[in-house]
Amino acid sequence: MNLQDVLNASTLGSIYLLFALGMALVWGTMGILNFAHGSVFMFSAFVGYLITSRIPLPLPAVVLIAMVVGAVLTLAIQYFAYQPILKKIKSVNAAELQIVVAGIGLSVIPIALAEKETLSNNFGFQGSTFQTVVYQFGDLRISNIMIIILVLGLGLGFGTAWWIAKSRQGLGLRAVGIDPEVAALMGVDRRKMALATMAFAGALAGLAGALLTYYLTALNPHSGEGLILKAFAAIILGGLGSVLGVILGSFILAFAETAVFAYTSGTWVSAVSFGLILILLVVRPQGILGKKEVRRT
Amino acid sequence: MIDFLSSYEVLIQLTLSMTLLAISLQIPLRMGVISFASVGYFAIGGYATAILVAQQGINAWAAVFLSTILGGVIAYILGLGIAHLNGLYLAMATVSFSLILSVVAVNGGSLTGGPVGLFGVIGPITTWHFLVVVAVVIFLVSFTERGKLSRRFDAIREDPQLAAAMGINVVRYRRLSFLISGAIGALSGSMATLMKSAISPESIGFGLIILALTVIIVGGQGSWVGAVLGSLFFLWMPQTIKFVGTWEPVLYGFIVAVAAVTLPGGVLAVYRNWRYRRTAAKVIAQQEARTRDLAMSGATGGGSGDGV
Amino acid sequence: MVTVSDLQTGSTTYNFEPVLECRDVSVYYGGIRAVDGISLGLRPGKISGILGPNGSGKSTLLGAVTRMVKLTRGDVLFEGNDYSSVRSGDVIKLGIARTFQTVRLLPDRSVFDNIILSTDIACHGQPKEVVEGYVRSAIERTGLEGYELLRPTELSYGVQRRVEIARAIAVQPKLLLLDEPTAGMNRTERAEIGLLLRSLQSEGLTQLFVEHDVAMMVETCDYLYAMNFGSLIAEGLPEDVVRDPAVQEAYLGKHGRKHA
Repeated sequence: MNLQDVLNASTLGSIYLLFALGMALVWGTMGILNFAHGSVFMFSAFVGYLITSRIPLPLPAVVLIAMVVGAVLTLAIQYFAYQPILKKIKSVNAAELQIVVAGIGLSVIPIALAEKETLSNNFGFQGSTFQTVVYQFGDLRISNIMIIILVLGLGLGFGTAWWIAKSRQGLGLRAVGIDPEVAALMGVDRRKMALATMAFAGALAGLAGALLTYYLTALNPHSGEGLILKAFAAIILGGLGSVLGVILGSFILAFAETAVFAYTSGTWVSAVSFGLILILLVVRPQGILGKKEVRRT
Repeated sequence: MIDFLSSYEVLIQLTLSMTLLAISLQIPLRMGVISFASVGYFAIGGYATAILVAQQGINAWAAVFLSTILGGVIAYILGLGIAHLNGLYLAMATVSFSLILSVVAVNGGSLTGGPVGLFGVIGPITTWHFLVVVAVVIFLVSFTERGKLSRRFDAIREDPQLAAAMGINVVRYRRLSFLISGAIGALSGSMATLMKSAISPESIGFGLIILALTVIIVGGQGSWVGAVLGSLFFLWMPQTIKFVGTWEPVLYGFIVAVAAVTLPGGVLAVYRNWRYRRTAAKVIAQQEARTRDLAMSGATGGGSGDGV
Repeated sequence: MVTVSDLQTGSTTYNFEPVLECRDVSVYYGGIRAVDGISLGLRPGKISGILGPNGSGKSTLLGAVTRMVKLTRGDVLFEGNDYSSVRSGDVIKLGIARTFQTVRLLPDRSVFDNIILSTDIACHGQPKEVVEGYVRSAIERTGLEGYELLRPTELSYGVQRRVEIARAIAVQPKLLLLDEPTAGMNRTERAEIGLLLRSLQSEGLTQLFVEHDVAMMVETCDYLYAMNFGSLIAEGLPEDVVRDPAVQEAYLGKHGRKHA
């Protein structure tokens, strides 16, 4: 693997990180595995496409729109679907399943809407004012979008890790993840925390979607489908309960996929995440840096 | 009548195989094991049958039998490896299992026919045969939905610790659920492949997981009746909502999402709860009448002070 | 206080055949000594009680006796036989039944189904009519006639608890363990449970129940143990144990003779 591959893999890893970070936060603090996250990712970019195809906007505006769409969609899902389910079902196990199932059900809608509009073709931000500029350093090619992705990805990743470890709200978030009842007693407002976490996760998904669209120049309605599993693999690999773990896992996954792609045909790439999940769960469910117990009581 | 049947034959076959697949999903679910591995079992059964019949020239019924056993065995082994995991982790492990198989199918070269799949899987098996097979499976499964077994399944699902304290060997039941789910899933794939005389990676990927899951969402997780209802609904519904034209997939997704949120337990649970509410109302009315009589006759003890 | 136990060596001689015997039973979790060297023998056909404040280890002791909790040290014997190695699931087949601190009933099943759940396991091999007979008689004993078809969600807390007790007695146990059976009940309900336990006792059923409500213990028990910090601090006739200074100190200001 040469330096160019490292660069490409790191860019991919940053995207995975942005996507997985939101999922990990929601899962770690609220116990919700949001299967609609991938559709939110795709649809946020899709809305960006709809707008830029009519109004020429610069990258920051498109990204912002995508983040807002992502946050709003995720909050809507939480409010209209997940919260009612949690209220209705007392048993934790049954609620978990119903939430996963609801998420899968919900994920179908944005995909269908996007497909209807694009007729399954790709969509991109051609109307945006952003121009990709490629810088060459010897054999190394790096574009401005790659730099943006790396900076935002790593920045938000480490920033979140620092915030959770050092800030008061971060402490509250961790407390909710460990024991919601005790956290409530300690004065943590669970509902506000839940909404804020969901919104943040959604915004990250939108950010990832917009950036990936710029990077690849196009997405299609099904681009979000495999991401949930990749994110899951990254989270499990790094260890649930650790933001640094998510960063680590995302990058290891991206590198593994890049390597597999380089040395075999592209059709084995998705098996990397599936295989990682299965092996990790059987052999070392807590991942590399994980703290939470994953065994059945 | 015959014309009606033959033109809808494909749909009937699909309904039958979705029913079996849904039952395969239900068995672990009824024990609280969230497993999506059934799609993987379907793939195993389908490809094994395709390879045995189209490539090895083995008799179709023998292939069905062998594929079913293979599915059960592989499922059992999978269960040994992952049954101890808790809810969501187990679910994800099973999703990964199923999806790995689809990747293997794509990359299997001449053995699995690669991305195109395998053809010419032909045998003397008809839709009537299929119907009989499904009826037999339903008959066997119905035993687990009555009496002792159904109570134990419920206990294992709702309160495994309590179930263990009552003397139920939870681990053994869970392992068996993998075995049975694997066999039925493989059977469903095997017969579906013979009906279509082909199998491809496309038909065993994430799309199938979603389809099977939505059958369960609408029909419910608790009973074969739900599996049949859900399959019927999903395979015949597209016919009935064709009028919405290009909005069809959106409507489909919307129906699934709404069902998932509002109907935990599917339509069957709605029906059963309704019936229970009627019985309960009657019983409660009787209790209140009795309490009134006791109070009026000056008696103490019994139900007084408890209320209902 | 009447006791002939020699706690030092863990060997205890009783002037009766104890139905259940604990010999120096200890349960340690990490640094916590939940149960610390308890030796006792339950008198056959009598209602024994374990009194103690929250955190004294009472429920853990019940868990150890029902093998749901691992013994760090010591032995448990039932009818003279060591059963420390028996799995928790098989304890019910020995004839030991229990109720739990929190009501644990299957919410989507009727009262009848909830009761018969454990009965047909414990009475494996017996004909269906016999098993159903046990269930019906348990329903009668606990005053649950008319409730058979209802699901737990319709029932008041007190009634739910009675279903739990019915579930435990339907298996025709030789020993009944009850974990805070009257928690959350009002005075009338409490009295009814007390009467029920007494009538079961008159049929020869040995019982052990755990409570922190002193008055009820004194009224219902034939023999009382008091626990604190995992150890036995007193045992004997209820009136005597309640007056024991160590027991009073453990309860200072908490309960006395009043109850909710």
